[in-house]
Parts: sequence; C-alpha cells; structure tokens
Amino acid sequence: MAEDLILELNGITKIFPGVKALNSVHFQLRRGEVHALMGENGAGKSTFIKVITGVHAAEEGKMFLEGREVHFKGPKDAQEAGIAAVYQHPTSYPTLSVTENIFMGHEDIKNGMIQWRSMNTKAQALLDSLDADFKPTDEVGALTIAQQQMVEIAKALSTNAKIIILDEPTAALTTNESEKLYEIVEKLRDEGRSIIFISHRFEDMYRLASRVTVFRDSQYIGTYDVNEISNADLIKAMVGREITDMYPKEDITPGEEIFRVEGMTRTGYFKDVSFDVKAGEIIGLTGLVGAGRTETIESVCGITKPDAGRVFLEGRELSIKKPEDAMKAGIILLPEDRQKQGLILSWGLGRNVTLPIQEELANKWFNDEKKEWQVSKERLEEVDTKAVTIFQPASSLSGGNQQKVVVAKALAQSNMKVVIMDEPTKGIDVGAKKEIYEIMGDLAKKGYGIIMISSEMPEIIGMCDRIFVMCNGKISGCLSREEVNQERILELSMEKGSTTEGGAAS
Amino acid sequence: MAGKSGREISAVPENGLKSKILSWEGALVLILIAVNILGVSISPNYTANNVFREMPRYLAETFMLFGMGYILVLGDIDISVGALVCLSGTIAVLASNAGAPFILTVLICLLVGLLGGMLNGIIATKFTELPTMIVTLGTQIIFRGIAEVLFETWGNGGGTASMADTKGLMLLAKRIGPFPIAFFCVIIVGAVMITILAKTTFGRKIYAIGSNKTAAYYAGIEVERIRFICYSILGLLAGVCALFLLTATFGSNTTTGQGFEMEVIAMCVFGGIATTGGKGNLIGGFIAAFIIVCLRIALGQRNINTQLILVIIGLMLIVSVLVPSISSALAARKKKRSA
Repeated sequence: MAEDLILELNGITKIFPGVKALNSVHFQLRRGEVHALMGENGAGKSTFIKVITGVHAAEEGKMFLEGREVHFKGPKDAQEAGIAAVYQHPTSYPTLSVTENIFMGHEDIKNGMIQWRSMNTKAQALLDSLDADFKPTDEVGALTIAQQQMVEIAKALSTNAKIIILDEPTAALTTNESEKLYEIVEKLRDEGRSIIFISHRFEDMYRLASRVTVFRDSQYIGTYDVNEISNADLIKAMVGREITDMYPKEDITPGEEIFRVEGMTRTGYFKDVSFDVKAGEIIGLTGLVGAGRTETIESVCGITKPDAGRVFLEGRELSIKKPEDAMKAGIILLPEDRQKQGLILSWGLGRNVTLPIQEELANKWFNDEKKEWQVSKERLEEVDTKAVTIFQPASSLSGGNQQKVVVAKALAQSNMKVVIMDEPTKGIDVGAKKEIYEIMGDLAKKGYGIIMISSEMPEIIGMCDRIFVMCNGKISGCLSREEVNQERILELSMEKGSTTEGGAAS
Repeated sequence: MAGKSGREISAVPENGLKSKILSWEGALVLILIAVNILGVSISPNYTANNVFREMPRYLAETFMLFGMGYILVLGDIDISVGALVCLSGTIAVLASNAGAPFILTVLICLLVGLLGGMLNGIIATKFTELPTMIVTLGTQIIFRGIAEVLFETWGNGGGTASMADTKGLMLLAKRIGPFPIAFFCVIIVGAVMITILAKTTFGRKIYAIGSNKTAAYYAGIEVERIRFICYSILGLLAGVCALFLLTATFGSNTTTGQGFEMEVIAMCVFGGIATTGGKGNLIGGFIAAFIIVCLRIALGQRNINTQLILVIIGLMLIVSVLVPSISSALAARKKKRSA
C-alpha cells in the first residue's frame, strides 16, 4: 500500500427496517490526519460512525484496521482495537467524578480494590496534557459541555486510542471553547493519532481537516483535499440536487399580516425577539443549535412562561398562558421531538390525531369514537400516511410517517391559522422530506401563516419567503428570499466577537 | 387535497366476541366463578344470603380501588389513603361524640377525605419534581400522626375512639332485600368511575397523561389540573371508605386502614392496570375486588387463619403480573419453532 492507511472501510451497507441507512460507502483514514466527514442530516454519518465503533454491525462490507480485516461484535471490541468516539452531548455519568468517568470500564484494580490514588494521579496527568482547568475529583455533571468533552477525550487517551472520532463536537460550544478544542485536536494529531471529525460547520473543516469525505442520502459521494475543493463544489457534493426540485415553493403574494411576536424575552434563553408572518407566507427561523429558536417558540405557544413579550393574531393581542390558549386561538405547534412531544407512541394513529380536538367531537362529556375514527382517517389520508389502519400504534411507523401523523393532528384542528413547525424534517428520509415540503406549500396556498424552525440551510433557503436568523438568543438579521444564501445565514448565525452571554444550549 | 397515492387507511376496529372472552377481564370472571365454587364446596354456610351479609366490612376499601385506578393510570401512586381512612373515620367519630347529628358526621367524614386528597393533589402538582410515592409517604405519616394526636386528646384511651351514638350507622348497615347498602353504593360508584375512565374525554386525558405526559401537555391538556382532580376524587373515596368501615366497626383505632393502600393497589394491578401508567381499565380491578371479597368470606367461614389470605392475594398478584410475560414468551417460542 502506497499510503499509510490506519483505517479503511469498503462497501459498507447498513439496513434498518424500511431504510437503507448506508449504501455501499467507502472511507479511508491516513495515520496522523484530521479527516472531516460531512453531509446533511440523515446522510448516514452517525450510522457510519456507529459501524466503526462497533455499535452497529454492517450487513455488507469490510473494515480494515492497519491493513488487517476486523469484525467488531460490540463497542468493547472497537475500544480494545484503539478506536474511541466523543459525542456532541457527552454520554458520561454526571453524578460520578472525572476520574471515575475516565476510567469507567478499565479501572486500576489491585487485589480486588480500586486504586483511587494512582487513578487520580493518572487522570491529573491526562488533564494536564489537555491543559484542562478542572480537577480529577470534580463531579462531571457540574462541568460545562466543553469540559465534559475534555473528559471524554481524556477517556479516549486513557485507553490509548489511535483513532479518535469527534461527532459534532463544536455544535454546543462557544467560539472560545471551539478554539480550545481545535488546539487539542491539533495536539492529538501531532502526537500521531488519527482523527475523524464530523461537523456541519465549514469553519471547523477549514481550520482542522486536510481531507474531507462527503456522504449524501446514505451514499458515498467522494473524498477531496480540503485545499483543492471550492466551497460551492463542496456544498453541491453535499446537497447534490438542484435545490428548486426539492422544494416546491410557489410564488404566492403574501396577504395581510396574520401573526406578530414583539419583544419576547426570557432571561437566560432569548432576548427581545420580534418577528411577523403574513397570510400565505412561510418564514424561517434559523441559527446554530442553542441560539434560542425552540425556546422562543415554546414561550410563544405557552409552553414556558416568558418574562416579557406580546403576541398578536390578526391584529388582536392574545394572552397566552398555557398551550391550550395558543391552540384555541389557532396557533398550532408541531414540536421538535415528535416521539416525546408530538405523539403518544403507544397509542393508535387515530387517537393521536384527535387528541387535541376530542372535546369538539365529543357528545357532551362522552367521546364520539365513530366521529373520531372518521376525522382521523380523512386527515391521515390527506397527508398520505403509509399506514394500514388508524388503530396501529404510532410506534409502528417510520420517522417520516410519524411526522405526517403529527401534521395530520395539526390539520384536524379546524381553527388553525398559524402553524409553527419545529425541525419538521429532522431525521426523516428525502422522500418524506419532500412530501412535508409539499404539504407546507399547500398550506401556504390556502392562506395559513407558516413558521419553520430549522437548522438545515437548504430547506430554509428553499422554502421560506423571509428568514429570521437568531444568534445567542437574539434576532441577528432578517433576509428576504432574493438576498439569502448560505454564507449570509452563517455570517448572521455566528457572533462577531468571541464572548457569549444569554444563549443557552437547547 | 386527497391522498395523492389514493392509499386507504382502514377505520374499522378489529374486535370480536373472541377477543373479549380471551381478555384478562374474561379470565378474572372465570376466577371469580371458581372462587365461588370453592366457597360452596368448602363451607356449608357459603350461601348467597350469608355472603351478602358478611360483605360490607370487606367492601369498604373497594371504593378506593376506583380512585386508585385513576392515579395509577396517570402514572402516579398514592400510598397515603390508608392513613386518610383512619383520619376521616376518627374525626367523624369524635364529631359524633361531640354531639354532631348523623348527617353532619357523614359530611365531615367525606370532607376530611376530600381535603386530604386535595392536599396530596396540591403538593403533587405544585412540586412536580417530587416523586408522588414520597409525597404521599409524607402525607401518610402526617395523616396517621394527626389521628394519633386526636386519640390521645379526645379518644377513649389506648389509641381508640368509639362512637357513642350508633343509630345512624345502623341505618347505613341495613340491607335492601339480600343486598347491603354498601353493595349498592359500590356498584353505583364503580359504574360511574368505570364509565368516566373508559368513555369520556376526561378519562381519555388521564390515559394521555399516563402514556406521555409531555405530549399530553403539548396537545393542550391541563395536566396538573387533571392530576389534582384525580387526587381529590381518591381522597373523597377514602372518606366514603371510612364511613362504610364505621358501619362495621363503630369506631376507629390506630391500626384502622393500615395496609389498605397496598391492598387497593394490588387489586388494581391484579385487574390489569400497569403501575407505569397509561394502561388497563377498572373493570378488571372491580372483578378482582369481588374475587378477594368472596375468597375472604369463604376462608373466614372455615376459620382459616386470616393471615393466609394475604399470602394468597400476594401469590395471585405476582401470577397476574407474570401472565403477560409468560404468554409472550410462549408466543415467541412458538414463532421460533415454526420459523
């Protein structure tokens, strides 16, 4: 072999029930390089990482570690082979100490006794090498996300990992913290370790990586030298298709203002947020994770209590104190986490759809089940849910179809005027995504006001008439459909200075 | 915008007589029949008339079964109600002895139960981060503690309080035909509570909260209000239980109501309600209550040690909880064999 490859994967295919999560993908990692792995949400990056770390077993394909073929039966095999992963939200034990977290699973044991003193000394040495500002005896739950990531990195070093995978490590970090992480990664690279770096942020890639591999729709697109590929080409490789195909956005002349939010403030989460929607208009609310988008919307809908702020519907001010108030007024939220917030997974589809309107359909205090069945059947068919019967549990559907049930639940509320969709296409496949966009387009045509919260720039750019960008709990700018592009959104999403206040992680 | 693919989704439920008979409730009816056959065969005194005559003192705690069912379906638990029965009964006895007319005594008994339930509800809904097991453990100790203070101060000594004027209670202990009044009351309260849970929008909300509290809240359900109402209902039923218990005991003491909460929870679980919330209905618990009442009467007539009944109830409880996992294990093995 001409190159010094430490890890090579060929033709990896991973199938989940109903979804091909990876379709014959390739990957090569050189010794001592930082290799970026990029692609849209749902492109298969996380699944791929889980194949490398032994969490998932691939249906097809081969994996070579330092030239030898390996088969991992579980995460422990991968760990012993020198592969370690650090995730965006560290999967540590918050109530245990830093030392306990670092040595979890490979404690120093002599005569059946845990050797605390030697472990603490070793942990201190690891933390020193990372230039960490906390002690081995600190409780992990009391540390910041950035510090917890350092604990995870220290854990990787304690197992003497040769390959370290960082899965979106900067998504929840401030600019300063990110810079510190970059330095650590460079140090690890200079020590001869190989690093796989997953990120949505181009700046991470340009700063650190020498090569980048792109996945799209579960497929391998290509591997490029970072210095040789232009930003535009890279985006095209990631997005792949003409954006206009994917997003069926018609030119609708928006009507009058239907909904307006003024000066929404919740201390520690967001500050003085204002935006408005016209009838037939789709507006986007975007920004980095932790910018305060979901928190703002939750306060608008009465789920959390804001400290200040006014909400107007069709010119009249509303008093929204609880979710019911927003729904009665016709402001319908499709929550971000459909499995926890949007659906009762153990219930049938029909019951889920009619839950918010059961009292409307009821005969005095009694549920009118026949009417409920009829309404839910119509709504579920309207959004083309792939289901056999309205009685099958919501847990039996794929993510995309679960999202359609959430949409059907919103449509069943006949007083709907404004619909707020929080990450409506998160984690669902391309086909279902397009169907969700079509429903959004139809709703706009019918004159509803639509608010979409999303981190996916392509869908924000493709679907929205106006885009409000949030940064650290504040609206940092509003872009029209004509002037918007990825760079301008990124620019507004990122803070000019390097300090952070106000914004909290979601 | 009709479905573009023209795909149809069925809205016809699959339910037949077969599934009804094969259900857990069907099995419980069979057990009830078996217990009665056992009763008749081991005791010559096990006649309908005798069973109904002995029923009231066992029936009292059955009232609480229905309220506890709501709490368990919510995914909560309330272990304070046994002590609340003691407190309600004690205050009622003391009020009567202090000269309150019977009607007022009844109202006081129910009111104390209701207030106790409301106290549980307020704490559980204002401090949602507290586990309800701990909240109601606290109020359990408080309720019994207050009752003990009352025994000390105004009781008949030795931790007891007996009712001097029992005319009113005798009236409640009367029978209409062969049926005791308590029996009618249990049937009426049971029918109302079962119907509310199974057929009304309020009942549907209880299931929604027990299945996924967050999704219920996002769907506009006033989660904490519903929980408060359920705790209040259970408290009121603890008052009803205390009242009917008095018709058999004519007084109360420090052990009154002890263990009732656990027996009531056991009946609910035996009847098919999951303590994790969102699953089961009260019909099973209702039948289970009568199984236990009949078993108690039958074994009591044979002078079989009353403690043995606890062993039997415990065994039945464990078996009933095991049934679903045993049957699914059998189904899995069958599937494996045929594959």
